[in-house]
Amino acid sequence: MSGTSITGEATEETLPAVVSGAHAAGKIRRRAGRGKGMPLWATAVLLISGVYFLLPLYATAVFGFSTGKHFSLQPLWDGLGDDGFHSSLILSLTYSIATTIIALAVVAPTAYLVELRFPRLRATIEFLTILPFVIPPIILVVGLSSMYGINSPVNLIASSWAPVLLIGGYFVLTLPFVFRAIDNALRAVDVKMLSEASASLGAGPMRTFLSVIVPSISLGLVSAALLAFTTAMGEFTLAALLGYPTFPVYLLNVNGYQPRMGEALVLVSFVITWAGVIALAAVARRTPGTQERSASAPWLSGPRPIVRGGGM
Amino acid sequence: MARLELNKINKRFGDQVAVADFSLAVADGELVSFLGPSGCGKTTTLRMTAGFELPDSGSVIVDGVDVTDLPTNKRAMGMVFQGYALFPNMTAIENVEFGLAVRGRPVAERRAQVAELLELFGLGHVGGSYPHQLSGGQQQRVALARAVAVKPGVLLLDEPLSAVDAKVREELRTEIRRMQVQLGITTILVTHDQSEALSISDRVVVMNRGAIEEIGTPTQIYAEPRSAFTAGFIGAMNEIPVRIVSGANGIVERWGRRVTAPGAAGLPDGDLALLLVRPESLEPLGTTTAALNGDLTLTGQVEVQTFLGATTRLLLRELPGGADDGSALPPTQRLAVDVPSASAGQWPAGSEIAVRIPVAASRVITDRSAERRTRGVQ
Repeated sequence: MSGTSITGEATEETLPAVVSGAHAAGKIRRRAGRGKGMPLWATAVLLISGVYFLLPLYATAVFGFSTGKHFSLQPLWDGLGDDGFHSSLILSLTYSIATTIIALAVVAPTAYLVELRFPRLRATIEFLTILPFVIPPIILVVGLSSMYGINSPVNLIASSWAPVLLIGGYFVLTLPFVFRAIDNALRAVDVKMLSEASASLGAGPMRTFLSVIVPSISLGLVSAALLAFTTAMGEFTLAALLGYPTFPVYLLNVNGYQPRMGEALVLVSFVITWAGVIALAAVARRTPGTQERSASAPWLSGPRPIVRGGGM
Repeated sequence: MARLELNKINKRFGDQVAVADFSLAVADGELVSFLGPSGCGKTTTLRMTAGFELPDSGSVIVDGVDVTDLPTNKRAMGMVFQGYALFPNMTAIENVEFGLAVRGRPVAERRAQVAELLELFGLGHVGGSYPHQLSGGQQQRVALARAVAVKPGVLLLDEPLSAVDAKVREELRTEIRRMQVQLGITTILVTHDQSEALSISDRVVVMNRGAIEEIGTPTQIYAEPRSAFTAGFIGAMNEIPVRIVSGANGIVERWGRRVTAPGAAGLPDGDLALLLVRPESLEPLGTTTAALNGDLTLTGQVEVQTFLGATTRLLLRELPGGADDGSALPPTQRLAVDVPSASAGQWPAGSEIAVRIPVAASRVITDRSAERRTRGVQ
């Protein structure tokens, strides 16, 4: 193709041969900006991060789906048939779902009230919610077990209230993520004006919160739920040290005596988390009127969801 | 009985007086505007009427019932906000329907009423759209429809047109008036836009620094302002220095010429005062400088012409009219004269022009009140 024939319709293959002059170069850069051709550095970064994230998964798969000499799904079938797998996964799912529900039910109204009525309390609440980042989980374990453990003033661990202890601990650990996600969503909408508009139409505070505020911050709530759920599902320290046989604790144990089965189950847990994330993202994307308000959860309106951390 | 009464309302924010001793009775079906500069307390008064703020003292009475301590949702008032405040998760139909749903009206009745309102506001074709899919003007129409859907006793409009562009603003304000008259809703409009207040109100409340300066019909407010603040705030106003020669007889002097001027009576002899006159009252005299019929004249050089449509505004720099007696326009001040655009070509920038200042259409105020007005506007 000759250089003179090139106009705005240049393809990627023809570009290097025909680019001449500032005008053409500008045109090419604009086209690149629109995503037709990716700059070299971006491709490199993408490639390196891809390798960084996928290599461990690949290694896990190679080790887990093998008998040592050749490819086999036997470790996976063994794992899926294991009683410990079922019970620990159900326990983790139950605790994680409970944590998520409680975190949303407590934090969303609190953040709403802070935004609407007590803006001066924001700094205090923010400080409290980031405490789990500052204080390591091990300190939480020591505190919880000396307060609620066996031989302590309130013996919860040995009682039927034992789940409350772990869910309570999980709740504290999820606070930074849940509060931030919900608070960002609340700040992206004019909470005060929406609440006043709702009140002027005759709605009481509860109706306003449930019918106007909650749907307006649905993306933030979904991202808060995702973060709470994945944090609780992947939590190890509290569960292990307080003696709860959750899924991460089970995985570690299995790795000790049946490592291939353990690795196969790690991949299973990865798939479960991803399925959950994608399902939630799909729900969020179908929520009406949210297209322009994805600031609180940008990954929910993008083409592909991104998982925080990787779950377990 | 007045539909809405505000009795001796006071409100402070810390040391700041937001509203002072505000009393007003609004008749059934009346549209009253609160007009004033930013921070004059107009929005705070509206918010206290709506129940979003509690007054420190005073009462809000609707149809003879004291609602001062009632929460907003029990007051039966509709409100339209500056930023629309549409619920982003609901379509236009659902937004308008919300208040009716809260009141537990049957679905069929709700839908019929909403359809009727959307038609009234020209929104029939966008009922299924979400707020972000609507233009600013459409959003504000939905907000209006939503507010009147619940048949409020009083409709409160808080700068409803300040977020839409100029053309839509003019359309919408006419529409608001048409709707308000058609539905007979008692309405309070808060605005800082004088043309908005003057064009659609039955009465205008001019506010300054938390207090009422003046209440009157748009014509009264514009043509016969009783307070210096009102005179300066409403419309463009020229301030021409004059000296009081005889307060007893209402005679003022400028460049050695003495005339009897309204408002000058009773002012102290020898004081400098200001003669207020609107640009459209000034009359070009061509090149003659002779004063006519007991009026004053002023000679100036055209500095700028501003095309305003039917009229063109000339900004004049005054040329000395004789020995300086302190009545020259300050060097930075320009005299605004409105002339028909068709004849504006006679006075290009740089040309000289003499204008007649019809004293009968002007008003003299003391310099002290002028100073107060300037402070209030800032």
